[in-house]
Amino acid sequence: MSFEVLWRYAPSLLSGFAVTILCWLGGSALGLAVGFAIALLYRLPFAPLRWLLRVYIEILRGTPFLVQLFLLYSGGPFIGLRLEATTAGVLGLGLYSSAYFAEAFRAGFSAVPRGQIEAATSIGMNSFDILWRIALPTMLVATLPAIVNLLIVLSKETVILSIITVPELMYQMQTMAAETFTAFNAIFAMAIFYWLLVETVSRLGYRLERRVTAYLSPEARAS
Amino acid sequence: MSAAMIELSAVSKSFGAAPVLRAVDLAVGKSEVVCLIGPSGSGKSTLLRCVNFLESYDSGEIRIEGRLIGYEDRPDGTRRLMRQRALREMRCEIGMVFQHFNLWPHMSALQNVAEPLRRVRGLSAPAAAERAKQVLARVGLADKAASYPGHLSGGQQQRVAIARALAMQPRLMLFDEPTSALDPELVGEVLEVMRSLASEGMTMLIVTHEMGFAAKVADRIAFLDGGRIVESGPPRQVFHESQEPRVRQFLQTYHDRNSF
Amino acid sequence: MQPQVIAHSLAYLTLAAGMTIYVSVAGIVLGMGLGFAVCLARVSGNPVLTRAGAFYVSFFRGVPVLVQLLFIYYFLAEFGIDVPAMAAAIGGLGLASGAFQAEILRGALNAVPRGQAEAATAVGFSRIDIWRRILLPQALRISVPPLINEFTLLLKASSLVSVVGIAELTRVSMNIASSTYRPLEAYAGAGLFYLAINLCLAGLGILAERRLSAGSAR
Repeated sequence: MSFEVLWRYAPSLLSGFAVTILCWLGGSALGLAVGFAIALLYRLPFAPLRWLLRVYIEILRGTPFLVQLFLLYSGGPFIGLRLEATTAGVLGLGLYSSAYFAEAFRAGFSAVPRGQIEAATSIGMNSFDILWRIALPTMLVATLPAIVNLLIVLSKETVILSIITVPELMYQMQTMAAETFTAFNAIFAMAIFYWLLVETVSRLGYRLERRVTAYLSPEARAS
Repeated sequence: MSAAMIELSAVSKSFGAAPVLRAVDLAVGKSEVVCLIGPSGSGKSTLLRCVNFLESYDSGEIRIEGRLIGYEDRPDGTRRLMRQRALREMRCEIGMVFQHFNLWPHMSALQNVAEPLRRVRGLSAPAAAERAKQVLARVGLADKAASYPGHLSGGQQQRVAIARALAMQPRLMLFDEPTSALDPELVGEVLEVMRSLASEGMTMLIVTHEMGFAAKVADRIAFLDGGRIVESGPPRQVFHESQEPRVRQFLQTYHDRNSF
Repeated sequence: MQPQVIAHSLAYLTLAAGMTIYVSVAGIVLGMGLGFAVCLARVSGNPVLTRAGAFYVSFFRGVPVLVQLLFIYYFLAEFGIDVPAMAAAIGGLGLASGAFQAEILRGALNAVPRGQAEAATAVGFSRIDIWRRILLPQALRISVPPLINEFTLLLKASSLVSVVGIAELTRVSMNIASSTYRPLEAYAGAGLFYLAINLCLAGLGILAERRLSAGSAR
């Protein structure tokens, strides 16, 4: 692939990159928010609500992301939801990831040692304070590795958005490849690019983890 | 008889089909130190946890300074669960120290002690921090105020836990095997704090295996076996003059290893 | 929608489900072989093998599966080899899965308490026997839950082979959607098939765990 080709397509590639980042961050933010809300709602003692949430989670985790996207993008208009490709992409990513984030938060909550809650109860704290000041901080730290992991997975899922014509990086690459007959080089470049991206984010995530768990004892951190 | 600090009358509890407490009667007077001893599974911890209603009890009454805890008597004679607010009110007058300390790991020692003062007693941040510092000094950990539990030894953590309970200025304190999770050389510093609390007149109900401590500090010892109080009285009576076979059998293993 | 159309669509989807299962199973089996080999390479102690193994895992976990699929499809075309779409599909899924399975196996091996291998060494076991009789059986048992998870992921990733033209569930549902103008029903139908397959997979996982755990303390 000649430098000339790259230079010609630089603007579209950069815009594609920007769209990738936008979809990734937007989808993740939506997923985190919805997932967290689901995890909180799950703690309420309403059996029908939990059943509903469970069904939601299982459907979103049990079907391919691509099928969900098609449902939103192609099927949306039939229920009055006329979405642009990018909007459908972010929404789809957000809903898909919300199920995974919800499960991660749920696991985080059960990782809070009972004793800490008991100490707070025995001292006379009310439920809100116990949740907000005692359970939540520990829960968030416990969930951090899972969240970092999910963010990495989501960054890779963004390439699937190209299939519903969201103009992210993969889509731009394929357009360029088709127009200049440089398919192999383009794909190769994509592979290298994503590989580097994921490695970098993984290492950053690891560093962040160590920083946040600094107050824990060395044994607790090792687990 | 003046109203005892803690009064248990015919308290019974079962876990499913298994009875854990069988009509237990126990009274702890003001400034009294009572130690609960007995074999594992005898119900000592369960009994203690019923006193601040961390565990519910099925029948009988537990009264703190005359007030029933955990339940309310309805006018028609039946009982219902106490409202959360009232329960919390009662709980902040009862200090509890756990076997595994249960400090909050994301807060420093100072913050652990100050947090209940702010959330439950409603103190302002500076006032809470000030009181917390004083109490930490009282247990000998003034220099560790900024340390996190993960970086403190077991004995230090337990002393912070005692400080946390003490800072609330409770009317009485419950101790659930406070030294059982500690390395032997760290046990002394915690027992020392507890002894000084006792000498200052704190009402204490302690579940423990530390017989030497109990012999020296307790006003009364109660021996639990199979959910019943089998023997109860001053240390001398229970440790040296008991006629109950179960008590003598249990104490034999301690006599062989230590003398008290 | 007329019942005839529904019946036809269901028939197509059922066939497509079979294709999905076929491709997924083939990918899983390939992944197992690769995963096992790569895991061995990584714990072999040989610096070249370890490095190669680490690179493989890092690359195939870091690159999105879609990119990997297209990479293989075009990679071989570049060298003049005309790859049937099926080979590209199974190869792509297998390579990707292999990387994850290698890591799962490695984690499981690490989870086997070290003392057990030490006890075996002290008694005089040969290295091969320690592997065969002590480490591998336990590692396999430990790895069942994460493996079932990985298989579920692979099943969902199989939807991507639709882009190289394989007539699996996603591709067929796309065809049905465009020919009947009922995308909601078409994709929902595909979704239900996927859920059904996943349910069976979960059931298999529970069975497998129960079988393997018989006799062990945990």
